[in-house]
Amino acid sequence: MTAWIDGQAVERDEAVAAAAALLAGAHSPVIAGLCAEAAAVQAAFDLARAIGASLDPASGAALYADLGALAAGGAMATTPAEARGRADLVLALGAAPWTSGLLPDLAVDGPVRGRAAGRPRTLLALGAPGDGALQHVAYPAGESGLPADIGLLRGLVAGRIAGPHPLADLATRLRDALYGVIVYDPAETGALGAEMLNGLVKDLNETTRCFALPLGDSHQGRAVAQVAAWSTGQGPRVGFGRGFPEHDPWRFDAARQVEAGEVDAALWLAPLPAALPSWTRTVPTVALLGAPKGDEAQVVIGVGVPGEAFGAALWHPRRAAIAWHEATAPQSEAHPAAAILADLQARLSSPAKHPAKNPERSASC
Amino acid sequence: MLTRIAGGRVVDPTAGRDAIGDVWIEDGRIVAPSDRAPDRTIDAAGCIVMAGGVEVHSHIAGGNVVLARLLLPELGISEPDAPNPHGSGRDVGLLYARMGYTTAVEPAMPPVNALATQLELAEIPLLDRGGLCVMGNDDQLLQLLRDRESADAVRDLVALNVATSRALGVKVINAGGADAFKDGAVRFSLDDEVPAYGLTSRKILDGLLDAVEALKVPHPLHVHCSNLGLPGADDSLIETLEAAEGRRIHFAHAQFYAYAAVDKDNPLTGGFMSAAPRIAEALARHPNATLDIGQVVFGQTATISLDILRQFSGRKAATPRKWIVNAGDAEGGGIVPFRYRDRGPTSSLQFAIGLEMMLLSPDPERTILTTDHPNGGPFTAYPRILHLLMDKEARDREVAAHPKVAAERSGLAAIEREYTVSEVAQLTRSGPAKLLGLADRGHLRPGARADIAVYRDQPDRTAMFARAHWVLKDGAVIVEDGEVVSWTRGRTLSLAVEADAGMARRTDSYLQGRFGAGLSTFTVPDAAFPDREVFEAVACRT
Repeated sequence: MTAWIDGQAVERDEAVAAAAALLAGAHSPVIAGLCAEAAAVQAAFDLARAIGASLDPASGAALYADLGALAAGGAMATTPAEARGRADLVLALGAAPWTSGLLPDLAVDGPVRGRAAGRPRTLLALGAPGDGALQHVAYPAGESGLPADIGLLRGLVAGRIAGPHPLADLATRLRDALYGVIVYDPAETGALGAEMLNGLVKDLNETTRCFALPLGDSHQGRAVAQVAAWSTGQGPRVGFGRGFPEHDPWRFDAARQVEAGEVDAALWLAPLPAALPSWTRTVPTVALLGAPKGDEAQVVIGVGVPGEAFGAALWHPRRAAIAWHEATAPQSEAHPAAAILADLQARLSSPAKHPAKNPERSASC
Repeated sequence: MLTRIAGGRVVDPTAGRDAIGDVWIEDGRIVAPSDRAPDRTIDAAGCIVMAGGVEVHSHIAGGNVVLARLLLPELGISEPDAPNPHGSGRDVGLLYARMGYTTAVEPAMPPVNALATQLELAEIPLLDRGGLCVMGNDDQLLQLLRDRESADAVRDLVALNVATSRALGVKVINAGGADAFKDGAVRFSLDDEVPAYGLTSRKILDGLLDAVEALKVPHPLHVHCSNLGLPGADDSLIETLEAAEGRRIHFAHAQFYAYAAVDKDNPLTGGFMSAAPRIAEALARHPNATLDIGQVVFGQTATISLDILRQFSGRKAATPRKWIVNAGDAEGGGIVPFRYRDRGPTSSLQFAIGLEMMLLSPDPERTILTTDHPNGGPFTAYPRILHLLMDKEARDREVAAHPKVAAERSGLAAIEREYTVSEVAQLTRSGPAKLLGLADRGHLRPGARADIAVYRDQPDRTAMFARAHWVLKDGAVIVEDGEVVSWTRGRTLSLAVEADAGMARRTDSYLQGRFGAGLSTFTVPDAAFPDREVFEAVACRT
């Protein structure tokens, strides 16, 4: 069984027709989840533009902690492979880095490229106890939380805090490193902590090299942000309700919209695993799922799992890039979500969706 | 279907053509005049008919273009009925097509981010597109050069990267500079060594120039020199030109290097003056060289570059005061917002130097118009720039409105030259098409792709070039009166180059060791673009 309406198994075509009907009458539809391959995410943005929907990825909160900091002050970051190749110091902020799988990799050996090559790599922890199996130096967490710790560290590095301090030695180590890397999870530090961290890293680069290394979320958020940027010029929480993309991270938070009663239909896109929000059973919803049970929403359609049933462009955490993933268990009838979304768009599009007039934004010279 | 574009002033400098006449089209190609009755006639009376414009250097896709949007949401904002050159790929395609451009090349596609860049390029409608594969700071290449491996090995690695990323050509950005930055450097020139490799920038450049020639890549090595934007940067450009030793070389955004130091003994403190005459003279002496301008225009923009050393050095000029410098797997990227102040002394001088370079050009086909979008400003400024090149009186009025330093430190005010329509076609059509090695465009001779722009001939050249009367892509009308009437999707042009299997195996092993992911994850397969034919092969030179 791969398609259901109201929990009853149906033919796929019937389910797709029901999905189109569900969305066709909507005044304020939402397309959420977006835990999918790049082609399906692209198709979701195209569909949203066609039907005037808003979008919100499952990774929304974590992603916007980083995007908010980025838009506020910028960043200096590096990649996991560069950290492995060059870092003589790695500072793990908070608890998340220790469960990410990255630190064991970094603990294995020292830098092999650049001026730090041949040095040992020092692993440090701040804000949470590290993994006892990995040799590291832990610094005590303050009572005010991780963002405050990062702020203190920034003050110490810049010489703005005088006198003895429990983190003074950590500040010295950061200043003395040739290529420091600070690993963090924006979902844990929050936007304020991420912004403070970016400031700390920039300060350090006045005299040495140090880079932030944000952990990606597990829901394709960093790939979604890219598709959103080239599709709309903005981050992923956008709405097409007025015919052009409007970016508003607060307004187009799908959970907030549902809670406020602003949504009359939804499409939940999750060919890859993502926690199902409770509202898929209360708001008229179409769910495109890689592992469906059939009762998750009013209309449920099973789709192929990208990178498993078929090759796909997906976020690659070790490469920190959108990368090609060959199918690990190819299926001839893979039913990619992108094809269903394109089918829905064809059924729902009116011929005159493109703007008739587009006066140019002037550039003086 | 046989189409006749009738009665326009047909301008095709490659055929010595500038006269009232017809252009005939069939099956997406330009054909010889026919005795048959056309199925469709487009009345071009009172219009100028040219080949579609070809863009050689515009940052329209890739990880850093994405980051610029995320850093500056306010710059890329969408407003009703106001497409934004800093906005979506859809807006970019629309704005180029409206101006009569039908091909555009993204010059900075790092192989590590090729798939995302190609996905983004494919979402730019209306145009044919292409990307240049960036090499010159990547560890695998630097290792080959450091270990004095054969020129064949370097050639094979370049070929593999071009083939894997499905690029149209090869670019080098401050060769070795990004690597040096990661090791603490803040200045880096042609004969400086990349510290960890003991290689000079010159040596890396040399290896890439040879590889591009050996592979017969139609587009010469596309070079972003060191010391961009600094007083005395003209020395960097000239040294690099001499280093090419007669091999074909293209200089990106040369205006940003046309800055002679006023005080040679203290170049960084004495300011700069135009080096346009020096560069024009060098270009005349070196027929192997081409350049694009990187014209500055005024207003807010975001500078985007893989030259992270330079971007880091320029961070304190960020306006607004936020910026990104990422140390990536080879170059990474830097985004520094910048506002070219209208009537500001420095911006005005930069503006004057760019125009001066084009007006002193010994050959407009070798001095291509770009703004290095968005680095010098948006590409949507082209119509106004062309107007100023074509109209001495308008230029004088413009120069008079700027601070005196623009006239005092450049030769612009004394130049009488006015570009002809035919020279405009060289600057924006035939020149860039030849430079990219795309024989099927940039001209109107039989056999050419029917990418055609039809402009109403009017004294206000800005208005004329801003909104084409008709634009045809592959023979189909996509723009009428400046409005898109058919949202075609175009193709992405990629070089048909064969990768050596031995180098592929070797690289797979290298990548596995470095990334824990092999060569297959770096590929750009057709399957990434379901239900679409995106790529079109471009042959290497014979």
